[in-house]
Amino acid sequence: MSGLERGDGFPITGYAVGNALGASSREVAKALALGRSGLRPCPFELPFETYCGQFPDVLAPVPPSLAAWDSRLARIALVVLEGVAGAVERACRRWGAERVAVVLGTSTGGILETERAFEAYAACGEVPAAFDLDRQHAFDALFEVVRRRTGAGGPGYVVSSACSSSGKALGAARRLLLAGLADAVLTGGADTLCQTTLRGFGSLEAISRRACRPFCAERDGTSLGEGAAFLLLERDGDGPARLLGVGESSDAHHMSHPHPQGVGARLAMKEALAQAGLGPEAVDHVNAHGTGTTANDAIEAGAIVALFGRSVPVVSTKGYTGHLLGAAAATEAALALLSIECGFVPASLGAEPLDPSVSLYLCLARREGRYRRVLSNSFAFGGSNVSVLLGEAS
Amino acid sequence: MSAAVHVSGVGFWSPGFRDAAAWLAGARDPSVAIAPAEILPPMLRRRASALARMAAEVAVQATREEAAGLSRAPLVLGSAYGEIGAAVEMMREFQTDGGMPSPTRFHNSVHNAAVGYLSIATGNRGFATAVAAGARTTAMALLEAMALLEARREVVLVLADEPIPPPFASDPPYPAAAVAFRLTASPVCSTRSRLTGLRPGRADADPFLGVMAAHPCAGACALLGAVARGDAGSVSLGGPVGSAWIVDVAPVST
Repeated sequence: MSGLERGDGFPITGYAVGNALGASSREVAKALALGRSGLRPCPFELPFETYCGQFPDVLAPVPPSLAAWDSRLARIALVVLEGVAGAVERACRRWGAERVAVVLGTSTGGILETERAFEAYAACGEVPAAFDLDRQHAFDALFEVVRRRTGAGGPGYVVSSACSSSGKALGAARRLLLAGLADAVLTGGADTLCQTTLRGFGSLEAISRRACRPFCAERDGTSLGEGAAFLLLERDGDGPARLLGVGESSDAHHMSHPHPQGVGARLAMKEALAQAGLGPEAVDHVNAHGTGTTANDAIEAGAIVALFGRSVPVVSTKGYTGHLLGAAAATEAALALLSIECGFVPASLGAEPLDPSVSLYLCLARREGRYRRVLSNSFAFGGSNVSVLLGEAS
Repeated sequence: MSAAVHVSGVGFWSPGFRDAAAWLAGARDPSVAIAPAEILPPMLRRRASALARMAAEVAVQATREEAAGLSRAPLVLGSAYGEIGAAVEMMREFQTDGGMPSPTRFHNSVHNAAVGYLSIATGNRGFATAVAAGARTTAMALLEAMALLEARREVVLVLADEPIPPPFASDPPYPAAAVAFRLTASPVCSTRSRLTGLRPGRADADPFLGVMAAHPCAGACALLGAVARGDAGSVSLGGPVGSAWIVDVAPVST
């Protein structure tokens, strides 16, 4: 076991999540309870048809003080941030703003704006004057917007490791607290839909033409989505749940295919348990990565069964939100947290008829119960795996 | 704001300069155009981006004293713009017939591509991450490494950025460059310097940097110079006015 242990973890003293299901935690929880998907035909101009999970609101421009950083990413981040901004302000007063760090995950950053600027350049030979690479495209722009909005004055950066980004941001946040480098950390992530990821996953033939159907016998690819999730971790305090562990590993196998035996996935899940000093029997629920692609779901199912057996209830929430890529891990950590707080696991949308080779206990209908410890997986390009373990408030 | 860590190996690569010694001596060799990255098997090397190749090259240089290091050490990549070359090339592909990008270019466009390639080449199933923080990238990647070293024996820290491609090129332009540090929690035989006191602040800019002063990883170049010369004092790691970072460096004789 590593020395980085604190069995009871750190309290999550505030959180907010927004995506295709709604702009606030309350709306998201309601859609999950009703089994209502946010996936719709994708409005982007693409050389193929697909569904996606677009952020629902008409997004207002950012406030004048942040106008130079305006982007769809910034607008989504700021809308969702409303749900946790009060908690961050309290943390800044309690610990001193310079002791409140910000570590966020994103895979797309503001590349949607860069794509628009490139299109304008391709059409008329000039990059629009309003486009600023550092304030729209660069990952650091997300940090800058969140820092300026919340007043958090501690160290801060972005973790970007494709679909594990915001889970690894939670891992980094936990280490900053363990090392005494901060007393509170605002963590999470944000991503937007864009041509780069829609066409990129399309080129890998990993996108379904319909709403994705994780673990279904008829699954044929994933659906992408956009949104943000933020979690505030503090050294101590009261909140709805605790971050018990964040396991991180590499497959060391292939840039875009998971290890066929799920070796890296298992390492990440085991590491999360080891940090909490818990065995697999302590976990009441797993929110799977479950993208809906043929190979990934089968490999992940095997890895979960190998570690937890066939009795732990599992869900993939990709059928609700789509795959949020860089924001997926923090989003699904927040959805797992909702299972602890609200006492239900949502139905795994689109899973029937279940793939007969998948021997998971997949929740085909909403399942009420007390969920004390929940695990959420995210696996990424480059063989990057992260597994986030949350527990109920002590 | 943190405990001491030890610099126990360094690496450098930039077009014209094959390693730290060549760069520090100002010995430009025009034949050095693409990082050899011999640790990547030929099939991976052909697919890897220029950034992934230079990151692999400097990581190997920094761990030369400890050959097994790369197969087990946690890997931290800091890069302000990451694989922006692949990202812009994909945008060009969207404008062509069919409008679909190369799948290899797509997986190469992720920020963690370089550490992904390196972990595959070395069989490293442990920790690897990729971070970005604009002009503060060197300082924040060092912070991530220092937090890891609370519980780990060593970390391989790589800072790398390539020039921003047209039509988004930066002014002033800067060359591609990658710097690596093998950091250890305790001093080892190959330890050259000790780093303490990573904190917000500003120190005098290093006049040695030249064109590298405009590089997003200028702070890493300055730190490399200070370690190589055996300097004692504060090194400016970079950052915008009002939120720049410094670290104290001191030589260690072993």
